[in-house]
Amino acid sequence: MSVRTNETAETISRFRLENGLRLIVAPATSPGIAAVNLWYGVGSRHEAPGRTGFAHLFEHLMFEGSANVAEGEHFKIVEGLGGAINASTWTERTNYFDTVPEHGLDVVLWLEADRLATLREGVTQAVLDNQRDVVKNEKRQRYDNVPYGTASERLLAAVYPPGHPYHHPTIGSMADLDAATLSDVMAFHDQQYGPDNAVLTVVSGLDPEDVRARVERFFGPIPRRAEVPPTPDPGLGDRMTEAVSETVTGDVPQPAVFMAYRVGALGTREHDVASLAAALLGSGEGSRMYRRLVVERQVAADDDEMASVMPFRYTPGMVMIGVLARDGISGDQLEDEITKEVAALASGVDAAEVERARAVLERDHVRSIASPTGYANTLSMYTQLFDDPGLARTWPRRLDDITAGEVAAFAADALVDTNRVVLRYVPAGEQAEQAEQEEA
Amino acid sequence: MTVDNLAPRPPLADATPYHFPAVHRSAVGAGRVVAVDLPGHPLVALRLVHDAGAASEPLDAAGVAQLTAESLRGGEHGDGELVPELERHGAVWNSSASWDSFVTGIDVPVNRLADATELLARTVRHPALRPDDVTRRRDQLVEQLRIEAAWPDALAARMVGGELYTGRFSVPRSGTPDLLAKVTPDVVAAFHAERVATAPGTLVVVGDLGRIDAEALAGDVFSGCAASPAAVGADAGPAAEPTPRIVVVDRPGSVQSALMLAHRAPARAAADVPLIYAVSDVLGGMFTSRLSLELRERRGYTYGVNSRFELRRDGGVFATACQVATGDTADAVTVTVAETRRLIADGIDDAELDAVRTHNVSGMPVTYATPQAIAEALVNIVVYDLPDDHVDRMRAGYEALTRDSMREAAAAYLHPDDLVAIVVGDASEVAPGLEAGGLGPVRVRQA
Repeated sequence: MSVRTNETAETISRFRLENGLRLIVAPATSPGIAAVNLWYGVGSRHEAPGRTGFAHLFEHLMFEGSANVAEGEHFKIVEGLGGAINASTWTERTNYFDTVPEHGLDVVLWLEADRLATLREGVTQAVLDNQRDVVKNEKRQRYDNVPYGTASERLLAAVYPPGHPYHHPTIGSMADLDAATLSDVMAFHDQQYGPDNAVLTVVSGLDPEDVRARVERFFGPIPRRAEVPPTPDPGLGDRMTEAVSETVTGDVPQPAVFMAYRVGALGTREHDVASLAAALLGSGEGSRMYRRLVVERQVAADDDEMASVMPFRYTPGMVMIGVLARDGISGDQLEDEITKEVAALASGVDAAEVERARAVLERDHVRSIASPTGYANTLSMYTQLFDDPGLARTWPRRLDDITAGEVAAFAADALVDTNRVVLRYVPAGEQAEQAEQEEA
Repeated sequence: MTVDNLAPRPPLADATPYHFPAVHRSAVGAGRVVAVDLPGHPLVALRLVHDAGAASEPLDAAGVAQLTAESLRGGEHGDGELVPELERHGAVWNSSASWDSFVTGIDVPVNRLADATELLARTVRHPALRPDDVTRRRDQLVEQLRIEAAWPDALAARMVGGELYTGRFSVPRSGTPDLLAKVTPDVVAAFHAERVATAPGTLVVVGDLGRIDAEALAGDVFSGCAASPAAVGADAGPAAEPTPRIVVVDRPGSVQSALMLAHRAPARAAADVPLIYAVSDVLGGMFTSRLSLELRERRGYTYGVNSRFELRRDGGVFATACQVATGDTADAVTVTVAETRRLIADGIDDAELDAVRTHNVSGMPVTYATPQAIAEALVNIVVYDLPDDHVDRMRAGYEALTRDSMREAAAAYLHPDDLVAIVVGDASEVAPGLEAGGLGPVRVRQA
């Protein structure tokens, strides 16, 4: 049985300003607040060669001042309102969040409009140099100085060929971050940051027409981009043709096995089936991998999120698996066990397993839209990617008619060795011990 | 291209004063219910609060509360079917032991609440706690603790207690691998029987009360309960080594160091709570805090810094944490200590006063925008025996902050001379600079 998303008589309003800005307005479940989300259709897939990491570095600069907002003032204003503020950059987007008490809505719209219209007049070399250092420390903290921190970067590089816009990680390389110049910043803002390349969502208790009028006041005067730059070609087949494997020896506490399979893009039926298959396999304590590898055979470290789908919209996605070994379990054994579980999907799955996976995905979806901040972000996302904000409420319905047979057929076709990258991490000491044993 | 007809910065409209929603209390059987109504909300947050936190554990059974919380996931039959069954209801299971409480609960769509609550009640009152299942969970937790120590920030955080305290607070809340490995299924069963099984606890309900039969839920949850056991306080004394001092945990090849600068803090009841939190907000808690502006925005040493007071029933910890590039390690420690001293000596300015006040006051509708966040506030009210209007009193406390009260609080609550700086990084690279920095003696140890 699946839990239906609560589809009340709630209304989502859509507007489009003359300059191309798409505006989504929806009611909040919590009083007195306004969640503002700006989702720009620019991400690391738009980066020029030699400038990896630039879209994300640019996101940092968006907080450091524009024509009418001094350096540091953006954070000061939103934090003074008690607001929650953040931003993120990924392959296909850069999104900015400000959730504030309702009386702060106008000033947040003004802040967002000012940096969209005039960032180039506020940004300085000193700010670029400072934020470059901050981002390099972010890269060290999140990727370089932690065990398995390079896994996603390595999987992307193996699944998407050199030259493909998804081949490199969003965080970029130290050398490319070093190479970024102020004129790169000016050009990127000019080419990518226009109202015609953004979705603005406001979730609040205000009347939609009231919100529209406010947005018109602050964003209406901003012209659309003079020229839309070409987007690097993301075209790629839905399958790889050759098994790939890679082993990294290093400073990790346990052997680990990561796998990636190339599958259809977000929005395709195959992607929906893949997300259901991944949840059935590795999401939640009722999933196959949890039951078999963690509980029954005790070869995998306890983790209730071992498989997921990378939801790329403009290029094929990836089914990704990541598992750490228990003490005394070798990487070889763990890889065999995972491979067996993945292969077993093709021989058939129970309808009950499909139902549980559906319920887990629906639960996760409902939780992602339960907070005003999350709801605003989801509305922006579906508008930018599919021109349909209503999907924020109805997305789980896409999974309703997927059958157990369809999941098994997908597994037989897509989750095969020739469409797979295997990435292994081996603790440095362990490899040495094995070598000694072999010598003895 | 300049856009010259942009609207000017708008004046800030007046804030609508925030009031925490009304708290409804009732008694059902031996237990108590504390509820907040969120009309029309599709999700319910349910929490059952027991006075059985980690602080009540004997030192030689450190981690038993958390292991018991984890073992409840085995469910009524010990076959691990509890969580998958909740998954089929679209519900999420919560169970964890904080220092001062043992909390179980579910987040669930309102239309599935009754079934999910029945599962919660049966699990908390009559779990199988099968020895083989408890042993497996324990062994996995032990390995998990060892794995976590490979993350430099996690390792630094786990070391703080041992540098500041003796007794139970010297060991992390979830225990250590060595201590936890000795906690047997019998110890878990005894802990559950004594502190959880028949102790009624308090049920927190946040959701659309018009669609919830809270009395019936409580009837399920409190069925068969007797009186609560007497509270057990923590045995916690100060560590003996002199301060200030620096402990370097060697992690050869690290490109960054994880820093944790910590000292002891008062018990929750002994602190003026809005004031003490406001002091750490200004020092390192807000994005516009002094440390964030200095270490991140001015010097680019770090991706982010944070400081906070963790106040427990029987003591507390103040800590500032950040990760900095290896070459900036000693300087980051010096700057952090200097900024702390400057705050004590000079107090704060009007802009900082305004920022910390409005940040905490205006932000309340944002903070309490979800059933889970309201439930967390109610759990806090239950655990620390706070008045129902606690959140509104906090708001009044923030509104009443002054530069004088902030300066006095900084002097009363920040103790740079009592700091222990824990540095997880490449000792050969960072130790000489830390020695030269002069904060105090430097001891290097292996991870």
